[in-house]
Amino acid sequence: MGRTSGKWIRIFFAGPGAIVVALVVMAGMTRWVPGGAAGIDNLALPLVLAPLIWAALFFHACLDRRLGRVVLVALGLLVVHGALVGWGFLGASRHAVGGAA
Amino acid sequence: MIRLPKDETKLMVAVHGWSGIVLGLLLYAVVLTGTAAVFAHEIGAWSAGHVETRSAFARPLDGIIRRLSAATPARYREAVNLFEIGDHRLGVYFHRDEMDGGKPIDRGIYYQLDGAGRVAKAVRGTGEEVFGPRNDDALSSFLVDTHVRLHVPNPWGLLLTGILGLAMLVAAISGVLIHRHLFKDIFTLRRNANPVLAERDRHSVAGSWSLPFAFVLAFTGSFFSFFGTVGMPVLAMAAFGGDVKALTETVYGNAATSDPRPVAIGDLDRLVADASRRAGAEPTFVAIENYGRADAAVTTYHPARAGGIEITTLLYDGATGRFVRVKPTIGTRPSAGGTLTGIMAPLHFGNFAGMLSKAVWFALGYAMCYVTLTGLRLWLARRREAMRSLEWLDRSVAIVGFGLPLALVVSAAAFLVAMPLGTAVYWTTTAFLIGSAIAIGAGFLSPSRLMLDRLLQAGTGLVMVLLPPLRLLTGGPNWLVALRATQPEIVAVDIALLVAGGWMTWRVARGRMGSVSLPAAAGRPVASAR
Repeated sequence: MGRTSGKWIRIFFAGPGAIVVALVVMAGMTRWVPGGAAGIDNLALPLVLAPLIWAALFFHACLDRRLGRVVLVALGLLVVHGALVGWGFLGASRHAVGGAA
Repeated sequence: MIRLPKDETKLMVAVHGWSGIVLGLLLYAVVLTGTAAVFAHEIGAWSAGHVETRSAFARPLDGIIRRLSAATPARYREAVNLFEIGDHRLGVYFHRDEMDGGKPIDRGIYYQLDGAGRVAKAVRGTGEEVFGPRNDDALSSFLVDTHVRLHVPNPWGLLLTGILGLAMLVAAISGVLIHRHLFKDIFTLRRNANPVLAERDRHSVAGSWSLPFAFVLAFTGSFFSFFGTVGMPVLAMAAFGGDVKALTETVYGNAATSDPRPVAIGDLDRLVADASRRAGAEPTFVAIENYGRADAAVTTYHPARAGGIEITTLLYDGATGRFVRVKPTIGTRPSAGGTLTGIMAPLHFGNFAGMLSKAVWFALGYAMCYVTLTGLRLWLARRREAMRSLEWLDRSVAIVGFGLPLALVVSAAAFLVAMPLGTAVYWTTTAFLIGSAIAIGAGFLSPSRLMLDRLLQAGTGLVMVLLPPLRLLTGGPNWLVALRATQPEIVAVDIALLVAGGWMTWRVARGRMGSVSLPAAAGRPVASAR
């Protein structure tokens, strides 16, 4: 991979990539963060931590010398949390179908 | 101490510089108005001449609410919000929740009462429509609105300030990463070095001391900007199939069993008195859900107790007026997420320890303005020889850096004149635009950037000095009246304006332009790690 294309991949993962991954992580966290005593920690914590998640992704994309690791971490988070959100949707639609039947 | 390799340090220097350059001027506008907005309440009392000391909740309100309820159409009596407006007057908003294209909104009638509890004004519409600035709070509303969304319509204004918050977060974190000698830099001020180096030292010292504050402000600020615009819809989609109302009810709701039988509301005067005794202060906001039903719930919100950060929230049974429990701000029971969310507001507004924390927040906000402005000037000074075409940016920095304070004090002067005439909402904004136009015009016409700096600073200083006498001339209370009414903030704001304006004018007259006015000829690349 050339230096120029590597630079643009890095810029992509530090810019729009970090935003998209942070949003998906925020959504996915509602599925695995425990609800806590009031049952709202899974909603409140992702909301509060979202700017820090974005900042962590931004600085990781800027500072990690191994571009492959930048891509792996970002895509890994995206896939895992995207799958958790999708799983939640599937569960909800199954409930809806079951309820209707 | 974090020691990054050379290449990464260079990259972080570029990130630090460009995060400031691309959004620095807008960020400066948000931070400057936010710094002033720390004292929004005091500025509101000063500008409108508030001399009432008793809270609206310390006066009888039960009869008023019952009378207003009888005059309000049944469809808007689903919920009632009570809060203070102006000079400790009562604002009452009877409303119902509706869905507007999948988006939850509220609609109802907003009654603004006078000192005797009579309706001075009633406005019908959605929450967004009825809660605009009023004649007596136009100045503080203008300040807050500039800070929150730069007067750009929602959601774009909030998204913009959220992005500015993220840029500030980047600048703060990269600022830590590029400091090879953070603790040394905190105390290094080479007064006799060349102007650019001396300026860099001042920027580093002010920036280093305010770094934790910048981080907290950027973090909490972006949280607030993205909370309703991005966060809630995304969480509602992920956890509630897109139902924002269900999410809101889970997070804020009182989780009671539904009982729609019609039952008159309990004695609100007794309820508020009990809440004030339990919380140690009168409420600042009261929310009544399911008004006129057996399952009515009343939530009272009070300032934080001495030594505390989070506000106190109490829950009452609306039908009987019986105290139910102390309620966390978020959720039905205390939790980590609720506490974390609850401390975001006091951390951002700096209002958790009264005047002391507000003064600290104001001072650190001022330091942030200084850091933003000197950062921009240093970036330009380092490139001036290579990039003469950046003259326009240099002038833009002066226009925004010194023109914005000028436009703000001009709008304050216009407010003082227009408020007694009932036209303050129009003239506060218009005068700000006129002040901005003057600054921009001066930017084009001024023979040099240094002259522009002098003109704008002198203008700002002079208007500041003129504001206290103008306030008195337009019917504002004098110091004796203000002190007798235990409103020392009116005197304090007067003194602050006289001192700051006088100091600014004196410095310009003496040719001491302040360290943010790097002379144009001083542009030499700085021989440093940066």
